[in-house]
Amino acid sequence: MNPQAFAYIAAGLGAGLTIIGGAAGIGRLAAAAMEGIARQPNAAGDIRGAMIVAAGLIEGVTFFALIVTILLAIK
Amino acid sequence: MSALLLALLLQAAPAHAPEAVPGPAAGTTQAAEAPAPHAPADAPAAGAPGHGAEPGHGDPSTVIMHHVTDVPLKIGPVVLPSKHLVFFLLAMALVIALVQVAVRSYRGGNIPRGMGAALEGLVLFIRDEIAEPNIGHGDGRKFTPLLCSFFSFILVAALLGLMPFAATSTGNLAVTMGLALVSFAAQQYAGISKYGIAGHFHNLIPPGLPVWLLPIMIPVEILSMFTKPFALMIRLFANMLAGHMVITTLLLLISLMGQISWLGGVAMAPVSILLSLFIMLLEVLVAFIQAYIFTLLSAIFIGMYAHPAH
Repeated sequence: MNPQAFAYIAAGLGAGLTIIGGAAGIGRLAAAAMEGIARQPNAAGDIRGAMIVAAGLIEGVTFFALIVTILLAIK
Repeated sequence: MSALLLALLLQAAPAHAPEAVPGPAAGTTQAAEAPAPHAPADAPAAGAPGHGAEPGHGDPSTVIMHHVTDVPLKIGPVVLPSKHLVFFLLAMALVIALVQVAVRSYRGGNIPRGMGAALEGLVLFIRDEIAEPNIGHGDGRKFTPLLCSFFSFILVAALLGLMPFAATSTGNLAVTMGLALVSFAAQQYAGISKYGIAGHFHNLIPPGLPVWLLPIMIPVEILSMFTKPFALMIRLFANMLAGHMVITTLLLLISLMGQISWLGGVAMAPVSILLSLFIMLLEVLVAFIQAYIFTLLSAIFIGMYAHPAH
């Protein structure tokens, strides 16, 4: 096997693992936010704002990893 | 620093891409005929026996990188050095023009019409929902113009990039670094203008901290001072880049399937077009969300330095 094949395998596995992590994080976040809104509908606006910020932070870290996998795939 | 490296790698990618393997078929024939121990030599060899007539044309990574990296812009005989710079200036001019139109509608009366009424809602939203709650009363008003500039520029730049033949200027690391540097300067200004330089750095240490924690906390706080704008930079850059990459990849699936058989290309086309249309609509949403997140996080960070130890 040449090293390029390993890079492609690593890129594919890395992208998958990244998505698992990001999806788990955002899933937990959304579940908690939904529960909060259901219990306290008056606070829906505040909760939604805080949820978007937290989702953005999780997404940012996920993109760090995705850029690494993209570099592995195209270099 | 590593982000700059990333940018350099991304910029350098098209130069190296033509020596990549054109397709899965060429790669397998090469592996069968000569399992060469030295890796660098086998890449050109893979291109030679197969359909290497058009180097870097059908290669997926070349197409994707060409789509998202900065290229010279050719309009007829005129060649402009940087497409991103052109669309950066275009976004800037558009924002300024919109604001001028909006300001003009305030003349001759207090009730704004047209563009003024549309932008007033946006400005009030940024002042009342982003700046004032996160930076504080008084201070929030002071930073509202900056936050409005962030929001409208990022939004306009991202929406411009969704047009055909256009480029997203915020999908360039240099542009987002500029935005993050302005945000960093605003954060430091918020602290220093209020407490002085000594007071600003003293505020980084939370009050009532045990003395033996100081050697840990001081480096951590100074590091976090720089990681905040760094994260802003990478987040915006990656978000703008990722959507375009996904759209291009989905459209490339047509030609990849078409290489196997023309029937595959025909069958793949509607699926690809529908999926990329979906991602395109998602990108419109992402443009608004990223403009909001960048503005909101800038406001939160400015508020952290303006009102420490809360």
